[in-house]
Amino acid sequence: MGVRFLTVCGSGIVTSSMLAETIGDWLREEGYEGVEVNECNPSEMANFLARQHHDFVAYASPIDHDQLDGVPAIPAIGLITGMGTDEFYENVKQVLSDVGIYPGK
Amino acid sequence: MLRKELIKIGLDCADCKEVLMTMGQEFVNVGVAKETYPQALVDREANYPTALPAKAFDIATPHTFAEHVNEPAVGIAILAHPVEWQQMGSPEITLHPQVIFMLAVTDPKQQIGTLRKIMMLIQDPERLAKIKDLKTVDEVYEAVKDVFN
Repeated sequence: MGVRFLTVCGSGIVTSSMLAETIGDWLREEGYEGVEVNECNPSEMANFLARQHHDFVAYASPIDHDQLDGVPAIPAIGLITGMGTDEFYENVKQVLSDVGIYPGK
Repeated sequence: MLRKELIKIGLDCADCKEVLMTMGQEFVNVGVAKETYPQALVDREANYPTALPAKAFDIATPHTFAEHVNEPAVGIAILAHPVEWQQMGSPEITLHPQVIFMLAVTDPKQQIGTLRKIMMLIQDPERLAKIKDLKTVDEVYEAVKDVFN
């Protein structure tokens, strides 16, 4: 099963890369085979979402929720600080379960 | 990536901007960043702040776009006293970081190993607390060199 997600941070470089790697590893451990991730800053988000389907957005900077076009967005600062890691992954599981693509390990 | 010249202990700054300009200029002085780097840090911070509420105490990870950077580097500033700094992702929240990890990033894909180690350091309260209380540049360098090199 595959999954594609988008990470968003202020510069679209440092924090989004940390998130992309960390979440990608977790998804592979959860049983996904094809894990795709894109990284961007908030002003690029709408373009990324228009270009390709993404299963969820993980964001570390304020985003315009009107631009999500129905894609679930999960705040991800807790993943960087370590305070809120479990909550973040529970949210991801829920989002992926809701659309029937959580491998359910 | 970590350089002893970019470790500052007891840096006495009035505010976030002074930290960014002072440390940013050090990056320029050692040649890892361009002249535009300090102001670019300030501009970026104004739009997308970088303070984080770590378990041990607040920290900040200022950085900016690769076009202002010559080569990857990390600097650490242990401030004489905390300064007000807005929180990453929630700019309405004011934090009070006392340890600053300043990053000069050229290609996050190349430097992802270091970025992840910084994340692990941020999440390790004992280790962070120890760093804050060190008194010399050599001590700080020895305490974190495995993270950055």
